[in-house]
Amino acid sequence: MNRNQRPNPGLSRRQLLRYSGLGVAAVAGSGFLSACGGDDGGGGGGGGGGEQRTGGILIHGATGGGSKDTLDPHQPVQAADIARCCNLYEPLLFWNNNFELEPALAETVEPSQDAKTWTIKMREGVTFHNGKTVTANDAWLSIRRVANPKAPFSAGGQLSQIIDFQSSKVVDDTTLELVLNTPYAILDTLLAEYTLGIIPDGEFDPQNPVGTGAFAFKSFEVGKTSTFTKYADYWGDPAFVDELQIQDFADDNAKVNALQAGQIHTLDNLPYNLVDTIEGAGGGVLVAEGGQWVPFTMRVDQAPFDDVRVRQAFRLIVDRQAMIDQTLSGYGSLGNDLYAPLDTAYADDLPQREQDIDQAKSLLKAAGAEGLQVELFTGDDIGSVAVPAANLFAEQAKQAGVQVKVTKKTPFYDDDYLSYTFAQDFWNTRNYIPQAVVGTFPPEQGGTYNETHWDNEKHRELVSAAAREVDEVKRNDLLHQAQEIEYEEGGLIIWGFRQQVDAYASNVQGLEPSKYLPLGQYKFHKVSV
Amino acid sequence: MWLLRRLGLAVLTLWLVSVLVFLATAALGDPVRAILGRDYDTNVGRREQLEAQLGVGDSIVTRYFDWLGGLLTGDLGTSLANQQPVWGQISDTVVNTLVLVLLAALVMIPLAFGIAMISAHFRRRRPDTVIQTILLALAGVPEFVTGILLVALFSTSVFNIFPAVTLVSPGTRPWDSPEGMVLPVATLVVAVTPYVSRIVRATLLEVLDSDYVELARLKGIPEPVVMRKHALLNAIVPGIQVVALQLAWLAGGVVLVETLFSYPGVGRQLVDSVRNHDVPMVQALSMIIAGVYIVVNLVADVLSILLTPRARTAISS
Repeated sequence: MNRNQRPNPGLSRRQLLRYSGLGVAAVAGSGFLSACGGDDGGGGGGGGGGEQRTGGILIHGATGGGSKDTLDPHQPVQAADIARCCNLYEPLLFWNNNFELEPALAETVEPSQDAKTWTIKMREGVTFHNGKTVTANDAWLSIRRVANPKAPFSAGGQLSQIIDFQSSKVVDDTTLELVLNTPYAILDTLLAEYTLGIIPDGEFDPQNPVGTGAFAFKSFEVGKTSTFTKYADYWGDPAFVDELQIQDFADDNAKVNALQAGQIHTLDNLPYNLVDTIEGAGGGVLVAEGGQWVPFTMRVDQAPFDDVRVRQAFRLIVDRQAMIDQTLSGYGSLGNDLYAPLDTAYADDLPQREQDIDQAKSLLKAAGAEGLQVELFTGDDIGSVAVPAANLFAEQAKQAGVQVKVTKKTPFYDDDYLSYTFAQDFWNTRNYIPQAVVGTFPPEQGGTYNETHWDNEKHRELVSAAAREVDEVKRNDLLHQAQEIEYEEGGLIIWGFRQQVDAYASNVQGLEPSKYLPLGQYKFHKVSV
Repeated sequence: MWLLRRLGLAVLTLWLVSVLVFLATAALGDPVRAILGRDYDTNVGRREQLEAQLGVGDSIVTRYFDWLGGLLTGDLGTSLANQQPVWGQISDTVVNTLVLVLLAALVMIPLAFGIAMISAHFRRRRPDTVIQTILLALAGVPEFVTGILLVALFSTSVFNIFPAVTLVSPGTRPWDSPEGMVLPVATLVVAVTPYVSRIVRATLLEVLDSDYVELARLKGIPEPVVMRKHALLNAIVPGIQVVALQLAWLAGGVVLVETLFSYPGVGRQLVDSVRNHDVPMVQALSMIIAGVYIVVNLVADVLSILLTPRARTAISS
């Protein structure tokens, strides 16, 4: 019973970050946000072939859930909330399964030349579950709810700072004009977050939540079950099943047992050690590329890491594949000390860094740091991957003559967080620009979680210029230069990205792996049983 | 008079428990920091709201009496996790757990006494040895292992007879689909029966060896009647005590079983609340579990007194 495979479904900070990627920065009221970055290639298979059957009830087993459960479209916390959110509500744009933007409730979202004015054209003929037609006004009021400058929700942290609320206006029923107070070339990525669903007049009624999704609300019991009925007037492909039930599971074993006993059809976040069990019992396993990462963080303003040669030596000490094999049971993709693997700007042409003990030793020698001793801070509240990864790093460092003392702190996230010389952290995936701002800018410029105290003006200027650049090719070129700087000098050791593993029963069809969210983004209207 | 003293003692115990529960939850460190994690410094608004709700800043004595006052007037406070009243959230789950425990007791008591009687009847012969070996083995297996084995046997790997977890449709109770109750109840029964059965058997053997049972036999009373009327009635008092102990243990010990079967009871809610660092919920649930413990023991004491003529006389005199 590997309960420790994935601790605390529910409340850990890790889950919180994972599912509401933007939450941290948003709550902080600073930092650019958007979600997710990427990597190429999705894996896994979903569902069998053949004609999909209509009718029936689909029962989904959701990880976590408890007294914190909510139906609020704009502040989901746990996997169960996100599953509900994705079926009830829809944003203006979608991330597709390959993490590219697609039209949703908006048909187009176009910037002006200077990226300061954005025109949003609404899709016509879309109705809410209560029969009302979706208008540009609903979109504007929903955005205002999320991006309320006084208390922005997870998707609204960045929006609340860049939208000019006076000048933005609803032009007509199908046109919304967003005016920004600063050029921002990737506004559309902010509007595609699942936590920015459009609701009537931007008002959320917990008793009778209304959205535009393929399923309409039927019932909700906190911490237990929620049910939804097929929305017949859905603007996209209607659901195959008549009803959707989402069942909360606090325990992994219970969840997997329920799938094996045929009580549920799908489950998210299958523990890696149970993959064989499910496949052996005839069930299906859905593997998708993802972008969550647990980096080692080296403070670039403190000895010994103020010497770039020591930082590069440490990056060469890591055996990345061993990290993935041992801490992620092999369900991961290689990291190259760069984040945002799902971003189109990801610099995948830079040579993959590999373990090179000789080179590391000579770098350390050149820096006068032979026989270096360092303390590495870790903790269970970072996530289940953190402590094993720290111990493994200490092992690997021995080969280069570096003594690493692993100190496990409880809690890790206390007053010392962001002051550790050498430690770890957890990040959900997001695109390069928002991640760079929140993680590498000085605190007063939005770097709320700059663990490495990285302060590089040239890098910062490149990122800021990219945020203003409307042309994607030029923007990606700027970001490539920024990534080269981090690749050569940065304070993060990013050894890999976690893959998403979910499971489904043998009679389930229509699931496709998604890089964006678990279980094909929980889009249950595509699933038949 | 005696009863009043016992009640007084129970109340005193409950009060001591309340002090302990409060101190224990207060000593766990700063719940606000635990809830907010790395957002502690950045999310000032939420921090202040939580601190106000918990009364951080007031002395621990003030906070204790605030809480105790609320407890006595039936106000269990507000959950930190979702800002809903605690009582509204736990009333259903308390009932669910009580039903589970009661069902387990209803099956367990006759079963345990039955096994004990059979065992005592065949004492130290083959059937007794076999039964005792099995009971000892079962007593040594933790209840969650039993549960996992039962699930593997009856719902996933071997047969597919019973549901593996308790799925409760909205607006219904777990027992509305009785087949879902079978495995959780069975797990609890298997976990508890061995202890009760072994104690009752030991007492029965003692009684069966006593002079008055010998006399009854010599008078020619048939063995089954001797067993039922003379032996069992006298062996019942220790039985009640051990049943009470086990039931009290169940009130708190169902945590693992509820988690395993995803049963919507207090155990699962307690685990959830501890994870949430939801102090008011943890306090309320701990007090309820302690309350059940004390009530069950009280009832057992009263029953024992009523069933023991000597003690009955001693009290009334």
